[in-house]
Order: sequence, then C-alpha cells, then structure tokens
Amino acid sequence: MKKLLTAIFTMASTTCALAQEVASSPLEISGSVDTYFKYDFAKNPLNAKTSFVTDHNSVSLGMIDIALKKKTGKASFVGELSFGPRGQSQSIPDAAAGGSSFNIQNLYVNYDFTDEFSMTAGYMGTFIGYEVISPVGNFNYSTSYLFTNGPFQNAGIKATYKFSDKVSLMAGVFNDWNVYSATRGVSAVGGQLMVAPVEGWTAYINALSGAGFGGYGTIVDLTTSYQITEKFKLGLNAANYDIKDSSVPGSYAGAALYPQYAVADAVTIGLRGEYFKVKEAGAVPETAFTAVTLTANIKSGGLTFIPEVRLDHNSDKPFFNKSGAAAPNGGQFSLAAVYAF
Amino acid sequence: MKYILFGFLAIFSVKLSAQQKQFSKDDNGKFIYYQVVDSQLVSKDTLLQRARSFVNVVYKKSMKPEGSTDSSVLAKGTMVIDKTILVASHPSGEVSYNFVFEARQGKYRFWLTDMLFIPYQRDRYGNFVPATTIGVPLERTPGKLGAGAWKDILNSTYNKVEKFGDEFKKYLATNRVEKTKKNAETISTKKW
Repeated sequence: MKKLLTAIFTMASTTCALAQEVASSPLEISGSVDTYFKYDFAKNPLNAKTSFVTDHNSVSLGMIDIALKKKTGKASFVGELSFGPRGQSQSIPDAAAGGSSFNIQNLYVNYDFTDEFSMTAGYMGTFIGYEVISPVGNFNYSTSYLFTNGPFQNAGIKATYKFSDKVSLMAGVFNDWNVYSATRGVSAVGGQLMVAPVEGWTAYINALSGAGFGGYGTIVDLTTSYQITEKFKLGLNAANYDIKDSSVPGSYAGAALYPQYAVADAVTIGLRGEYFKVKEAGAVPETAFTAVTLTANIKSGGLTFIPEVRLDHNSDKPFFNKSGAAAPNGGQFSLAAVYAF
Repeated sequence: MKYILFGFLAIFSVKLSAQQKQFSKDDNGKFIYYQVVDSQLVSKDTLLQRARSFVNVVYKKSMKPEGSTDSSVLAKGTMVIDKTILVASHPSGEVSYNFVFEARQGKYRFWLTDMLFIPYQRDRYGNFVPATTIGVPLERTPGKLGAGAWKDILNSTYNKVEKFGDEFKKYLATNRVEKTKKNAETISTKKW
C-alpha cells in the first residue's frame, strides 16, 4: 500500500512538474440552451420542410449543448455533446436508436505542428455550408434547405496549412456523411480553400467527393460573408450536389443570401432569401423551393431572443393549407430564446 | 460570530475595491492605462533594449512593432478577454490597443490606449473566434440591454491590462543574462 501511494505521489508530482514546463490553457467550458414557440399559419406541422423548429403551436425544446476544450502545448481536444430534440432525433446521427439519446457535435483532437500547419482527427462539424446545428452559430432560428440537405458532420482526418492570415488550405479524408464510424470505409476526400481578400470579407470554397447522401456524389460549396460596415453584414451560400447514379433522388443546387443590419447595439434585423432546386432523378421530376425568412436578434447578455417570420413557396404544392389540401405556400411565425454560456 | 462578520466584511470590501478599478481618460476622452516608473538603476539604453525585446520576443504572437526611436517604442497589440464561470473560463473577445513606451535617464513611462473590443463567438468546431472584424471602442456607452455584459468586459480588460503592465515593469527591471547564468549553475555531489 505504502509503495502504491508513493508511486501515485511520484507520478502526480512528475505530471505537475511537466505541466509547469508546457504551456497549458485552462479547461474551457461553453455551451447553449434553446427553446422556441412556433405557429404554422396553416396549423400543420408537416409544412416545415427544413431541419428543427418542427412543432406547431407548442412551446418546444431545442437542445442543451455542452462543449469542453483544452489545449496543452501544441495538442488540443474538443468534445461537444447535445441533448434535446434538436441535438437528438432531429440531428443525424442519434447515438441510440429511437431518438432518445444524444448527438456528438464535435469530438476531435488537434495538433499544431507549427504556427502554420496543423492536423485534426475525429468527428467534426462539417466544413460545408453556411449554417450549423447549434442555434448559437446561426442568425436565423429555422434553417435553410441547403443546410438540411447537405452534410451536418464529417468524421475524418484533415490537414490545414495557413499560408497567411488571408489564405489557408485544408485537405482531408472522411467517412460518409453524419456517421460516427464508416459504413463504406474512409471513402470521401474533401478540401477547403479560405481566402480573405479584404478586411472583413472571408470566403470558403469547399468540395467533398465520395460516399454521401444517396450513394457516391460530389458537393461543391461557396460560403462567404462580408462585414461591409460596422452595422451591415452580407452572407452568401451557394452549393451544387450531384449523386453519381443519376437515377437516385437527392441531387440539388441552390443559393441563399443573408443580409443583416444592426439597428441598435443589441438589435439586428436579418433576411434570408433562398432558392433551392431538387434535381430530376429517374421518374422523380425536378422541384424548386423559394423561401424568405425575416429574423431579428435581440441580445441581452448571454440571452438572444429570435422572433422570426418565414414564407416558403413551391409551385408543385408540397405544403398544406388549413383544410389539409395541397398548397404552393407555407408560412410560420416562431419566437426562440437561446442562451449561450 | 464577530470573526465571521469581519470575514464577510473583508471579502465584501475586497470585491468592492476590485469593482472600482477602471480606466482613466486621456485628453481625447479615450480610455488610457498610463504608468510612469522610476528606474534609477537601469540605463536608458538598457530600458529601450528590454522594451523592444518585450514586444519582439516575449509578446511576439500578440504584439506587432510599429516604430522605434532612440527614446521610444511603438506597437500595436491584442489581448484575449476571458469570461469566467466558477472555476472554468472561455474567451469572450479580444481587445486591440496601441502601446507607447518612452524612456529617459532614470525613468520611463508607457501607456495603452485606442482600445477596441471584438466579441468572440463559437464556431462550428467548438473554437472561439472573432465574430466581426470591426472593433467597438471601449469608451462607448452601451444600451440598457447590454450594460451588464459591457461592465464585465471593462472589468476583465482592466485586469488584463494591469497584469500586462505589471509584467512589463518586471521585465524591464530584470537582468535576463544574469538570471540565465544563475539557472544554469550545476550542483556537485562530490563535495559537501
């Protein structure tokens, strides 16, 4: 027993001594909690064709999200878990069948070989697209068609090289979309070129090719935002996804524009205008959506209130009116409260 | 019981005094952290050399030299401001500043001013990154909704700047060459 205790004390003191020599950041704990009320103008929850904000006339839950990060020397890790409908059954994948478990948002390790070159391995939020699962990362509370139809997360290994503050390049190999372990092997390659041509303007050109939704396919994506003045910001997302087997439905193309204007210190008004086309596949005809979402962000400390009105249109009538008949238009109002810590 | 009350009073006083720390304003109405330091034992040239070394070596990652004369050093820098929840914390933003150092025989002065705050937000990978590229002057008066959060930012910034100032003063007062030699001393077990 004495020997064991001595060994433990020796190990502990050695670790302590090592810790003094290697720069270590404190453990970062952050996260968010969100809840919402939504009212569908046709009183039909099936009119929600994009992710999350699904319930009608209900005060419903989003998710609680908890993230841990620690950096010691050149090595760091991030672990982020979410619980609640947005982070469970409505996210892909759900850790246990039945939609009653949790979703891993991020679980990866990173090593900075130099100030310019780093490598990351694990399960990460996708590098494709403008919007993300966490409501803290989005301006609008509802999500775009581009987000819903694209990848949510990618597991893989990636290398990033920063040429300067204005240019960096990432390349990696990944599993198929949204899975903790590969079902078709490490079968996708992806890359991201980041350019920041002027201060305030950042553009990401992304590509991912390999196993994904609907089999094997290639997605090319442009995500950019420009803080033009202190009050005005403009964002743009455009993407094209083609499934290799053209008879399989799921290929799409679309673009969304995100102008935002700060009307006061704590209040920003923003619009999302989106065009999204599901491509023809075999007997399934092409169909196109347009959507306009008007959103306000009202901030007080860590809390953000998000009132939002959203109108969707598709001439192929995928929506329902009050009597349950097929309709070309859908509309909803929602009020969300998001607390970030 | 008396001791408990005294303890509470002492803690409360310390907390109050911590809250009262705030930036002074300069001639242009901007926040400034200004220090004049008496330094009779270190020559003007050595002070300048150490100030340059502090900017170019010690704070290489967060400071950028902007100019230097035979009596001054100018630089721009940023410092990360943390948000603390109990024992854990995470970055809440960064403050950029202009740094000016001037030396004379027997004394020197330095100040930080033109402070701009850029809030951080968590990105898709769980890292905290700047939410915008345009900073807000720390002197602004926030609206009612953001007043509490802004006060926390001012307090955190003051504490960071004060810590930076202390570190700078300590660096300028320390002879690194002698210290390195002292650290390299070896101990022989052959003699008592």
